[in-house]
Amino acid sequence: MLLIRLSLRNLLRQKRRNILLGSAMAIGVAILVTANSFSHGISDIMFNKIMRYVTGHVAVRFNERGGVMREIFRDKERVLAAIKNEPVIEEADESIGMFARAIGNGRSDNIVLVGIDTKKGISKKALKEMEASFRLVEGQWKDVENASIENPVIISEEKARYLNVKKNDIVRVRFRNMFGQDQAARLTVAGITRNDNIFMQAVTFLELARAKELLGYRPYETGSLSLTIKDPQKNAFALAGRIHERLKPGAAVIYASAAGRAGRNPVMLLGYKSDNEAKKKISGILKLTAGSFEKAFKKDGVIVPSGLARTLGVSAGDAINIRYDRKFEKTPKEASYHISAVCSATGYPDENVILMNDSGFYDLYYEDLPAGPGPEVKPYSAARGAWDGLVAPEWILLKRTFNTEEYKRKYQEISRNKWKGTTIDVSTMYETASDILKLESVLNIITISAVLILFFIILLGVVNTLRMTIRERTREIGTMRAIGMQRADVRNMFILETFFLTLFSAVIGIITGFIVMRLLSLINFQPQDNPLGMLLVNRHLYFLPTFPGIAGSVLLIIAIAVVTAWFPARRGANLPPAKALRYFG
Amino acid sequence: MNIIEIKELKKDYPLGNTIVPALRGVDLAVAEGDFISIIGPSGSGKTTLLNVIGCIDFATSGSVKVGGREITALDDRQITAIRLNKIGFIFQTFNLIPVLNVIENIEFPLLLMKKSAAEARKRAEKLVEEVGLKEFTAHRPAELSGGQRQRVAIARALVTNPDIVLADEPTANLDSVTGASILELMRRMNELEKTTFIFSTHDANVLKYARRIVKIKDGGIEREPVAA
Repeated sequence: MLLIRLSLRNLLRQKRRNILLGSAMAIGVAILVTANSFSHGISDIMFNKIMRYVTGHVAVRFNERGGVMREIFRDKERVLAAIKNEPVIEEADESIGMFARAIGNGRSDNIVLVGIDTKKGISKKALKEMEASFRLVEGQWKDVENASIENPVIISEEKARYLNVKKNDIVRVRFRNMFGQDQAARLTVAGITRNDNIFMQAVTFLELARAKELLGYRPYETGSLSLTIKDPQKNAFALAGRIHERLKPGAAVIYASAAGRAGRNPVMLLGYKSDNEAKKKISGILKLTAGSFEKAFKKDGVIVPSGLARTLGVSAGDAINIRYDRKFEKTPKEASYHISAVCSATGYPDENVILMNDSGFYDLYYEDLPAGPGPEVKPYSAARGAWDGLVAPEWILLKRTFNTEEYKRKYQEISRNKWKGTTIDVSTMYETASDILKLESVLNIITISAVLILFFIILLGVVNTLRMTIRERTREIGTMRAIGMQRADVRNMFILETFFLTLFSAVIGIITGFIVMRLLSLINFQPQDNPLGMLLVNRHLYFLPTFPGIAGSVLLIIAIAVVTAWFPARRGANLPPAKALRYFG
Repeated sequence: MNIIEIKELKKDYPLGNTIVPALRGVDLAVAEGDFISIIGPSGSGKTTLLNVIGCIDFATSGSVKVGGREITALDDRQITAIRLNKIGFIFQTFNLIPVLNVIENIEFPLLLMKKSAAEARKRAEKLVEEVGLKEFTAHRPAELSGGQRQRVAIARALVTNPDIVLADEPTANLDSVTGASILELMRRMNELEKTTFIFSTHDANVLKYARRIVKIKDGGIEREPVAA
């Protein structure tokens, strides 16, 4: 207490000097707080106002046959089951979107058509955030459901202006559907939004069901899922891990019946992996009694065990009819195949199994997902031993990644591997957009570097001031030491003076920073098609001060000041008392 | 019993390339409760001798025992503790802490001794009354006269009940009347608190207050006249 009292009173001795130094420090803190809040604001815009709408906090993405553009999963309910009972999930949306060329009145431009589900319940918070980011200036969100209007859409004010269209005008669009076919459609402008951010100006909203229909989705199919969750920084990675665990695939099995010349028999169709390594293994396992591996390994290759071939009355080259119940359709699916090879039962997975090249198998499987095995059919149990890893899975679950580099590598692998099945990828926005986090870090580093230079100059002031103070108070130091004050106490007294000066300056700096941020955020910018518009929210600069950011800045400055003060303070404390008492400044 | 025993004390100061001897083999013994004046002309070594006795300067050679303890071999922490607990200082220029008021200046050493604030305040108030400054407790040093400041310094020196109080020319900055009153006060406190007082002076008029006079010249004790 004694040291604190002395330090505080000493601070008031050289008022002008300390006020000048404190003001310089306060300006530094204000710059640091403002810059730090600005870079946090950019991250917040990127993550919570852009990435969140683009990918969600956590995304489950599908690519059928490894086609990056073919984002489809054929069993929506199955994947929804994997995200059920997760209290951290606030919203789960089907992310259906497509790039399209829009032709307005005399002008054309690129747009992004995004499906929105206005019929689904939406939380007040999500609605508020949505309305904050996309404020309707004309029309209503519900207008996209209006069945009496041809493909009603809500378009941004900037895009409407560029395309020279207004409410109720028609916009023609060209786009490529899920299966790579070029399509055209007419959209009706039902509403116009004013957007927060330049990134969102291309977004044109269309009712989800219509968007899916245009893209070629069936009702039970889905595109990628975007999940909005509570406290994403805390929960995103853990949730992605849990969903990933639940989406581990089993073997893809079609419980069917096969008909040959001798009659119809229940069978299980399995796909076998047809990469070179798998084919080599399979040719080592199976003993062919008819046909050839050359034919069997072709895309439409079908292998039948000799026992089943006898039962069906078929051999290599003969046709068989396959029939199975479909999961989502009432009528059964029928298909004909030619047997490429017949093999002995030795090493074969099961006597009722028909093996198909995974390429052809997935064509059948994904086109019409099969129903389950039925009550009297024994389900297929996953192959063990030699067949382990050779049977085509329901889908290919991509490994979890944790940063953008890993994520990019994963997608490079997809294009290299030419997967036959659908890939499922569970990712968080922190890996799909960790570059944004890097951007924030870079901004912070630039800010801190600039402020450190500023502080270096200020701290030269601290050292200089302290040296002057110590020189002026040399006899006082001598007196205190003579009376019995220990060296450490003298040193700490000067350090405490610097600490309090820095602390008070920091508090004033924080207040100044908040005032500066408030004033800057009052300025209304007009960033017409300017990329700098991404830094704005509602045409205003956006600052997001955070407690850790501010506390970190203050601690950094106090730490620098105290460390800088240490050396002159120690020099002062180490003065021999007799010498200090003799000093006349 | 001797509170201070000095044998063959030498103290040299470096001055550029030369060494200036300040004390040239001083022998001195001071009895407990004594009231001694060290006299001598300027530069004779009075202040150096007081500084070495007061543990704020180090001997070049020789032995210095304070309260029976050899101080020449102690480290800074121990020496500082001796200064705090055993010795009180009164300076020619008062040397009060300008940001503390009268009572705070007096209680300052007690707070360094980690005494409780209440205990320190109680003792300081007793002393402030004894030195006749009860009305000035809240005044800062800058608001006091020279004599009042020296009274505060005396109270501060005595507040820890030290074995020895060292006063280096305590009246040099005071007019003769005030100086006399200060010496009267020191003498009274010596009698009241039974504290050993050693004060230096080059003013022959103040010698009448001393019980013993030590005359120092050119760094050595010249002779020890019997006190008045």
